[in-house]
Amino acid sequence: MITVTAARKHYGSFLALDDVDIDIPSGSLTALLGPSGSGKSTLLRAIAGLEGLDGGTVTIDGRDVTAEPPQRRGIGFVFQHYAAFKHMTVRDNVAFGLTIRKRPKAEIAKKVDDLLEIVGLDGFQHRYPAQLSGGQRQRMALARALAVDPQVLLLDEPFGALDAKVRTDLRQWLRRLHDEVHVTTVLVTHDQEEALDVADRIAVLNHGRIEQVGDPVTLYERPANDFVMGFLGSVATLGGQLVRPHDIVLDRDRTTALALDAKVADSPGVITATVERVVPLGFEVRIDLRADSGERFAAQITRRDAAELGLHEGETIHARATSRSTVVDHDPALAI
Amino acid sequence: MRVGTGTRITLRVVALGYLFVLVAVPIGVILWRAFEPGLATFIASISTPAAISALNLSLLIIAIVVPLNVVFGVVTALALVRGRFRGRGLLQAVVDLPFAVSPIVVGVSLIMLWGVNGWFGAIDRAGFQVIFGLPGMVLATIFVTLPFVVREVEPVLHEIGTEQEQAASTLGADRWQTFWRITLPAIRWGLTYGVVLTVARALGEFGAVIMVSSGFPGVSQTLTLLVHARYIDDHNTYGAYAAATLLMGIALLVLLLMTLLDRKRSDR
Ligand SMILES: Nc1ncnc2c1ncn2[C@@H]1O[C@H](COP(=O)(O)OP(=O)(O)O)[C@@H](O)[C@H]1O
Ligand SMILES: [Mg+2]
Repeated sequence: MITVTAARKHYGSFLALDDVDIDIPSGSLTALLGPSGSGKSTLLRAIAGLEGLDGGTVTIDGRDVTAEPPQRRGIGFVFQHYAAFKHMTVRDNVAFGLTIRKRPKAEIAKKVDDLLEIVGLDGFQHRYPAQLSGGQRQRMALARALAVDPQVLLLDEPFGALDAKVRTDLRQWLRRLHDEVHVTTVLVTHDQEEALDVADRIAVLNHGRIEQVGDPVTLYERPANDFVMGFLGSVATLGGQLVRPHDIVLDRDRTTALALDAKVADSPGVITATVERVVPLGFEVRIDLRADSGERFAAQITRRDAAELGLHEGETIHARATSRSTVVDHDPALAI
Repeated sequence: MRVGTGTRITLRVVALGYLFVLVAVPIGVILWRAFEPGLATFIASISTPAAISALNLSLLIIAIVVPLNVVFGVVTALALVRGRFRGRGLLQAVVDLPFAVSPIVVGVSLIMLWGVNGWFGAIDRAGFQVIFGLPGMVLATIFVTLPFVVREVEPVLHEIGTEQEQAASTLGADRWQTFWRITLPAIRWGLTYGVVLTVARALGEFGAVIMVSSGFPGVSQTLTLLVHARYIDDHNTYGAYAAATLLMGIALLVLLLMTLLDRKRSDR
């Protein structure tokens, strides 16, 4: 378990971490998610000891490591740009931490071979990093970090420099690896899809603060504020409130199901809007709408519902959020 | 850019002609003059006691200067690239100073500092001779070769960044281990190149060294001083050609070594 308490960090007069508190349970795969510049890397590097804090403490498995250098924190760290030791072979890269610890040669050789097999680089022992693809380099870096049996594994946008296909493959692979190895893992990402895909817990950061921590479903369905809601998934602004586009129901007749369903006190009520565009997205159809107030929003409905409604551009329709929808008051101060 | 065949040939002829007249001809003339009377004469001329002593002195100076420049150069480059301290700009300028200052000025200022009547003259008067001794020649050579290692290592340090070193620290390596196992191997080609340039310059330095050397044959003559003395003082033209050829031979060897190392590097 990693516990960060009241962490503060300034760069000059800029406040990069603003009293951050977070607990990362043992064995979890937690994502630090937020826009670029929100302080994710700073927080991760503070946990690693690569960045000092101006205030606050970091404990790893009950041990206060705030004053400890990275060497003595029991961590493994993976950098976005791999940080491969270019003058060493894959084997020497992975063996580095064990060589430093002066482990017996036979033990090192066995461990390195085992790890290379796990990360799928068996047979690449004698290559140099320059002879590997980006994805292979990052898997090597991961094996290198795991070789020293870290208590926690810290990954700073590990797939950020890879192309889309490799990125999705690798994160599935990381998920499976985590299910096997179970080392407490913290993953920094600015990609909400990546966070939802691999993490079992997500901490959303914004302007050096943690907005919300929880499992993906909670964050998606019960966001603490409109920043979190806007950052995880798409949103539509309906009558001054944020709703998910697929939580909007549309009906031609104002007095039927729509109106009858209007019993939830804080829902936005019924809005009359004009259809601007109908965009088929495969399984779903996106309807771009303009409310009478002039506000534009989009609803997402299934193909079947769209076919039943048979909407045309320019016609008038009534919209409201479903009673079970995720709704957050729109606070411009929190906007992205 | 597309260039017509005629233009291309003209450009080639001009470039080659330029190199030929300015570099190949003078070197060729010296080689020709040195070997004209036969190999035996050449060898006799470069194995006189004065010549052997000059070669030894030149190599001794290099043996002292190179390690000092390596240590100082790497530390300075690290400070310039990684350091956040006041006066960094000043240090940058100071490192380049030897490029700008004429070697003869260096010689004069060294005499002003270390000579019997200089600021540190007490050292000389106490019996430790700096000027007109080996220490003076070493100081002069250090001054003129100071920038090479720094300037070759600096861009490499910039390029490699600090991530590899940070990765090493997260893997348990302390600063010293990180330096030996990560930083030094990463900068080794820049360092090698800096050393080669230092050797070449130290070997060829004349202006600064002649000011601070007593110039006794067989005692305090470097190879360049020997060439000069044979030609000007002894009117031994042939001897000067032979010594110059030896000087060139060593420089060529260094160059060759560098090319080989370079090739080994690009094999990676
Ligand atoms: N070494 C540094 N010096 C000055 N400012 C920095 C430094 N590192 C980060 N910052 C600033 O701190 C803020 C947070 O940075 P970072 O933690 O890297 O954000 P993220 O990883 O979420 O993109 C950014 O605005 C960045 O410009
Ligand atoms: Mg970052």
